[in-house]
Amino acid sequence: MPGVKDIAYYAVHPTQLRSIIQWKVWHNPVHERDESKESASLKRCFHFLAQTSRSFVAVILELHPDILVSVAIFYLVLRGLDTIEDDMTIPLAKKEPILRDFHNIIEQDGWTFTENGPNEKDRQLCVEFNVVIEEYKKLKPAHQAIIKDITKRMGNGMADYVKNAEFGINDNGVNTVKDYEKYCHYVAGLVGEGCTRLFVEEGKANPALLKRTELHESMGQFLQQVNIIRDIKEDFDDKRRFWPKEIWSKHVDNFEDLFKPENKAKALACSSEMILTALRRADDCLFYLAGIKEQSVFNFCAIPQSMAIATLDACFQNYDIFKRNVKITKGDACQLMLESTQNLQLVCDVFKRYTRKIHKKNNPHDPNFLQISIACGKTEQFIESIFPSQKPPVDEKKNPVNAEEAARLKKEAEETKWETIYMVSAVIGTILFISGIMLVVAWFAGARFDIALSQAKEQLGQLFGSGGSINASAPLDTKPSTDHSEL
Amino acid sequence: MAAAKAPVPSLGHVLVVGGCGFLGSHIVSLIAKRHPQTRISVLDLRTTANRHASPTVSYHDGDITDLHALEALFAQLRPDAIIHTASPHFHLPPAVHDKVNVEGTKNLLAAAQETGVKAFVYTSSASVILGPETELVNANEDWPMVTGAAQPEHYTSTKAYAETAVLAANRTPASFLTCAIRPAGIFGEGDVQLLPPMLSAFRKGQTKYQVGANDNLFDFTHVENVAYGHLLAVQALLYSHKMLPTVPLDTERVDGEAFFITNGQPVYFWDFARAVWHEAGDRRPLSAVWKLDRDFAMGVGAILENLFWVLGRTPNITRKQVRYSTLSKYHDISKAKRRLGYAPLVQLDEGVRRGVRWQLENEAKAAQKKDQ
Repeated sequence: MPGVKDIAYYAVHPTQLRSIIQWKVWHNPVHERDESKESASLKRCFHFLAQTSRSFVAVILELHPDILVSVAIFYLVLRGLDTIEDDMTIPLAKKEPILRDFHNIIEQDGWTFTENGPNEKDRQLCVEFNVVIEEYKKLKPAHQAIIKDITKRMGNGMADYVKNAEFGINDNGVNTVKDYEKYCHYVAGLVGEGCTRLFVEEGKANPALLKRTELHESMGQFLQQVNIIRDIKEDFDDKRRFWPKEIWSKHVDNFEDLFKPENKAKALACSSEMILTALRRADDCLFYLAGIKEQSVFNFCAIPQSMAIATLDACFQNYDIFKRNVKITKGDACQLMLESTQNLQLVCDVFKRYTRKIHKKNNPHDPNFLQISIACGKTEQFIESIFPSQKPPVDEKKNPVNAEEAARLKKEAEETKWETIYMVSAVIGTILFISGIMLVVAWFAGARFDIALSQAKEQLGQLFGSGGSINASAPLDTKPSTDHSEL
Repeated sequence: MAAAKAPVPSLGHVLVVGGCGFLGSHIVSLIAKRHPQTRISVLDLRTTANRHASPTVSYHDGDITDLHALEALFAQLRPDAIIHTASPHFHLPPAVHDKVNVEGTKNLLAAAQETGVKAFVYTSSASVILGPETELVNANEDWPMVTGAAQPEHYTSTKAYAETAVLAANRTPASFLTCAIRPAGIFGEGDVQLLPPMLSAFRKGQTKYQVGANDNLFDFTHVENVAYGHLLAVQALLYSHKMLPTVPLDTERVDGEAFFITNGQPVYFWDFARAVWHEAGDRRPLSAVWKLDRDFAMGVGAILENLFWVLGRTPNITRKQVRYSTLSKYHDISKAKRRLGYAPLVQLDEGVRRGVRWQLENEAKAAQKKDQ
């Protein structure tokens, strides 16, 4: 139920409330899953999906039936892997072999894992992991192969990371930007690759996306990096550090100094650099979306990306990220979902809107000021390249190609002007000449122009009803002139 | 084209016309640096300024509007390639532009065609496609030139006529190859048109203003990148010359073509200005900047222009400045990337740092000289 605070908020932000209502009332899923045909184990899987993923469950459930179950199982397998990796109560000696062998474990009927600590939130998924395995085995062999391959690579990547952390190689954190991107690759970039392969396998995406590996990599990197930026405070409180030392050490000596109020400017500059690193991926994400062929898949991919760029804007030049978890409002989220479930052009509009919001807050005295401006410009330029706002103008006026032609055109224009003048004067001259002859002939024939003139004057006077003197003389002049007119 | 992209030790004998100017001198330095075995000759009206110390560079005084003198010089030098950067200052009277840009270029072409020059690269301008009403949003080489009556800047028309003449001369004779480079918003060390006015605006305290919403993206190009574009063009033409009589595919050819060269990093107009000002020492926070509406600024500009016209001076705010600072003007340079193998050598922020530092040092030196 909405609290008093929410009611007050939406009372002064009616457009946000409108977005929420619009989304709730008008959004129809592209595809709806048919629960009646599902087995008990699949139902249990969807139950876990809803429990473990707050942000993805809605978009997964609306996916096309060809890939719905595969994506859901893929998600749960990775979630299981992640739950084991995250659990600090499991000793390395036990954890490492499981992570490295997880791609085989998902093929062992009835495998479950009960050794997670009691506080692990997704513990129950591992306890009942047999249902996931059961459903995995029902998937198309091609889908199984994709999930298995990604699981193998992610498991090994996680094992390496955990091992490094354990041996203090990276003092419980990430050192270089390269390490940071490597970490994001294992936890998100690989997911991008796996999903892309599933989509292409089912003809839901352009196969060219598999050749442009940097595009699906950017999809994962962008989401993961935005999460890492937003969760800085939460991760810090949990004693985890994902911001690479290579970046923060340019601004402060010790990581925890970022959270000291006296270092506010430095912390903001550091967060700007993190945001810049993510922002450079924005154009790749739009490029990727251009390769999606099916609406439900498009929505599945586009919604998280729109949310990510909006979150980036919310975090940019916002010191609150060092104090609490900064979120976009529910109204904005609904608005973004409305705009991300239609077509690429609207998603591009979203990106352009938030790019400009970010650019407007860009601080000229930030060390990365111009770099951020360049990254924003790059996104805008990319959008222009797929949806040009201008076409090359057609050379209708035939611009001259050299000085001679320019001179000739000028001369021609001048000649045309004089031709017009000559023509008009000839016409006027002819009219005047003929009128003159007629007047002379009329005069010889005895025409009384004096009478015609005074009559004309008087009629004009009557017409405008002014000049008493003309009115007074009128009766006298009327007779002769009427006689004449009968001539 | 891959072979043409690898830097070669020598470009043969290159004649840089206007090689003592802002861009020309950077071209001379970059050839000396990247192709050290190249013989470089410089032709300029006066060759006292911006001289390169290397013994591989020789200097020749001369006027490109004098055809006979040119022919004599070319017969003596017999260069393999010409890079023609000479152009009068934008603010000079129209007749000068006609004479130097159009006639001078034609003279150079004639002299080059007679003396067996292989490659001719002309420095055009990105503005040749900019009309009085249009904006350039991601514009590429498909856009038509705006010249003659439609072009309010006579300078720009003459640059366009010269470019057309250069491209029309391509492959006449068959061994004479030409192309044009269209740079946008050149700035850097030694620049007199872009950074100095921005720095003087900072000193006058004008950094507290901004005209328009600052959503207009603008191409600024560091001079070394423009120089690099010219070098790549010479290299590509010489390569095509070597392949004669084989003509490259239409999608790969460089001869007879024009190329936009920019940093490939369009930024919002005022962001560039603020980056320059920051580098020069400005620390005004963004919150203390007054944003003037574009139309309002246009009105003020019109009034001031008329008032100052009576006084015979130019005001601090003119309609032209308002238009330029609120105009979108950026290019799609994929053609240069694809066919020339171009990518900027100097990134925009690095370029701003280098350019502004040079300007400040130069001013300090000038001030010292005055004191002495």
